[in-house]
Amino acid sequence: MSRVKELRKSLFGGRTSNARQFGMIFTLVAIVLLFQILTNGLTLNSGNLVSLVSQYSYILILAIGMLMVIVAGHIDLSVGSIAAFVGIVVAKVMQDYSIPWFLAILIGLAVGAAIGAWQGFWVAYVGVPAFIVTLAGMMLFRGGNQFIGNADTVPVPEGFRIIGAGFLPEAGPNTGYNNLTLLLGLLLCVAVVVREWRARRTRREMAADVTPMWISVIRVAVPIVVVVFATLRFAGGRVGTSFPVSGIILGVLVLIYAFVTRNTAGGRHIYAVGGNARAAELSGVKLKRVNFLVMMNMSVLAALAGMIFVARSAASGPQDGIGWELDAIAAVFIGGAAVSGGLGTISGSIVGGLVMAVLNNGLQLMGVGSDRVQIIKGLVLLLAVALDVYNKKQGRFSIIESLMRPFRRDAPTAPAPPVAAGQEHGKSPVAG
Amino acid sequence: MRNILARGVAAGAIALLALTACSQRSDSNAGGSADSGKGFAANSLIGVALPAKTSQNWVLAGDLFTNGLKEAGFQSDVQYAGSSTTVADQQAQISAMVTKGAKVIVIGATDAAQLSTQVEAAKAAGATVIAYDRLIKNTQGVDYYVAYDNFKVGQLQGQALLDGMKAKKPKGPYNIELFSGSSDDNNSAVFFDGAMSVLKPQIDAGDVVVGSGQTDIKQTATDGWKAENAQRRMDSLVTSTYTSKTLDGVLSPNDTLARAIITSVKGAGKPLPVVTGQDSEAESVKSIVAGEQYSTINKDTRNLVKQTIQMVKDLQAGKAPQVNDTKSYNNGVKVVPSYLLKPLIVTKANVVEAYANDPNLAPLTK
Repeated sequence: MSRVKELRKSLFGGRTSNARQFGMIFTLVAIVLLFQILTNGLTLNSGNLVSLVSQYSYILILAIGMLMVIVAGHIDLSVGSIAAFVGIVVAKVMQDYSIPWFLAILIGLAVGAAIGAWQGFWVAYVGVPAFIVTLAGMMLFRGGNQFIGNADTVPVPEGFRIIGAGFLPEAGPNTGYNNLTLLLGLLLCVAVVVREWRARRTRREMAADVTPMWISVIRVAVPIVVVVFATLRFAGGRVGTSFPVSGIILGVLVLIYAFVTRNTAGGRHIYAVGGNARAAELSGVKLKRVNFLVMMNMSVLAALAGMIFVARSAASGPQDGIGWELDAIAAVFIGGAAVSGGLGTISGSIVGGLVMAVLNNGLQLMGVGSDRVQIIKGLVLLLAVALDVYNKKQGRFSIIESLMRPFRRDAPTAPAPPVAAGQEHGKSPVAG
Repeated sequence: MRNILARGVAAGAIALLALTACSQRSDSNAGGSADSGKGFAANSLIGVALPAKTSQNWVLAGDLFTNGLKEAGFQSDVQYAGSSTTVADQQAQISAMVTKGAKVIVIGATDAAQLSTQVEAAKAAGATVIAYDRLIKNTQGVDYYVAYDNFKVGQLQGQALLDGMKAKKPKGPYNIELFSGSSDDNNSAVFFDGAMSVLKPQIDAGDVVVGSGQTDIKQTATDGWKAENAQRRMDSLVTSTYTSKTLDGVLSPNDTLARAIITSVKGAGKPLPVVTGQDSEAESVKSIVAGEQYSTINKDTRNLVKQTIQMVKDLQAGKAPQVNDTKSYNNGVKVVPSYLLKPLIVTKANVVEAYANDPNLAPLTK
């Protein structure tokens, strides 16, 4: 086995979804570097990274929920309207009844859950296709937003703005950096090391092939370098800014949902339902409950995203949330989910969302008008998915294969031998 | 194995220390803010963030800014918000301008109340923020406001509506309908209040009747300043109220909506009422010359942009920009020093003189 092949298999599992993901990470890095050069270093500048995170965290939060909806074989077109609806409810409640902001957030989440239960009911128990239910929801809740807010812009109090425009506070001795952000970075580094160490220990205990040492080192060193770099950038920005609170909310959600979708029975049921609903039901998966919870979960996340946007904008307005569903759906598909359901990962969707975010931001930094930005984003979405579809049809399995082919001397065009799949036990094709 | 992992961690820690040593964190630029005491380099970057290209005016303003700033020796970055995700786009564009180190950011807001975070970040990074045409609300971060006197615009529209109806039919009572702009635009209410300050006494006296009874700004609002919304509302008004009565006049806040209203009335096969407007859009100037739309307002975008660029130049030189109103424009947390320009009403009677100096519109009046 060549080193390249070994690396690919060990790092990314070598299967369709994971290899696609590697392709996306590769694309993300390439785009970041490209814009870093084109904008003379502005892309990775502290201030820009801070605004990048706070500008796109709510879209990425939507992408988490949307991934689960799409994996289950549905679609949700109502997220933008729900976000706008919850936003105006929360703003109004705080304005008219002077309710404290943390209570208002709970109210917002409860409204999101209620809306989700409403939509989940129609999808799961009545059997109306999610496309229709959420299309109806899109109109319903957009109208609700205008009705409650009189199509007016309603400001929110200062305290509430923390979740959208807040940063980790300054604490401890003056180190020239934001100490809490440094601490966060350190924790992440430790987590990366511990995770790799435990993975190796598990494989040894199970008497499985332990990955070569040099691969482990790469697997630890690369993320640490990235984390250290990002930490210093976020911690070293203008005083008063540091890692955004909305980014922390996003990070926590990514960890939780990645664990749920990968390592819990409930999470695997979503993939089973999306892969083959009939088979899943016959194997004892509670189809209706899974569909209900997936739709409900999406609405709760949409509510959260809506509140973060309102907090960031300091006001809830009638144009909030327009087009968000499309951004979230685009992120999920660019991140490697299958249109037919059953395939896709949380981390892939986040990477997909980041590709769009960096592209958008980089083009804006270069002063490209929003008309051309939209054209470019549309083409990127189409090409990313088309390339993958094309590669599947050719019997190769992904972008990465075609990227790697020119570098290989033996160039086999056949899919990976089944042996490779055999060695993969303990790793699921959709995990990541 | 653990050995190598440990080495990896050590390497990471060393890298961290190495980078710590060259921290560029400072709050020098944060403290500097826009006192405009010292001015800035003559070839600095000036950011201009405008709303979506929904009316000719914004497109024209963008071109004038690009050329005007270039002539004045500045670098410019002129951006329009996208047509669907307007607010988020504009927020991102302003952040990008701050990142690029713009010294002055001119903002024609899409939603005047949703930009505080970005405006404050711009301020903290040392940029001066000028609100162009629409006042940015609820933030300390906005330094100046430059616009046409919009209350005056409303008054002129109300007066034109009365004059136009009198010229057509010497005696009242006149049936009218009211339209106002998008409710997320700060200016909509100002136009409407201005017009109502003229119309209200006549309505109370019974000389002017609002046929549908819809006189509240919430009922008359046109979401997003969209022509289709105005046309839809006019269609329903014609069906509900004017099947037998005649409609004498319609108060329309701008030209795009005025033309939509005229289209709707024409479509219903009714005689054309007196319709007001604003913005001097080419199609409406043609319409005035042809005798369809009654009036528009000439708020020459050239003068507004010229005034804004003059402010930028003053700031560059370290002078305080000229303002002529320091009382009227309260954005919710502060009174913003403003420079107001005088609008001009245009009807068929003065259309030729009004646009004599305008290279695009003058040929249309001949």
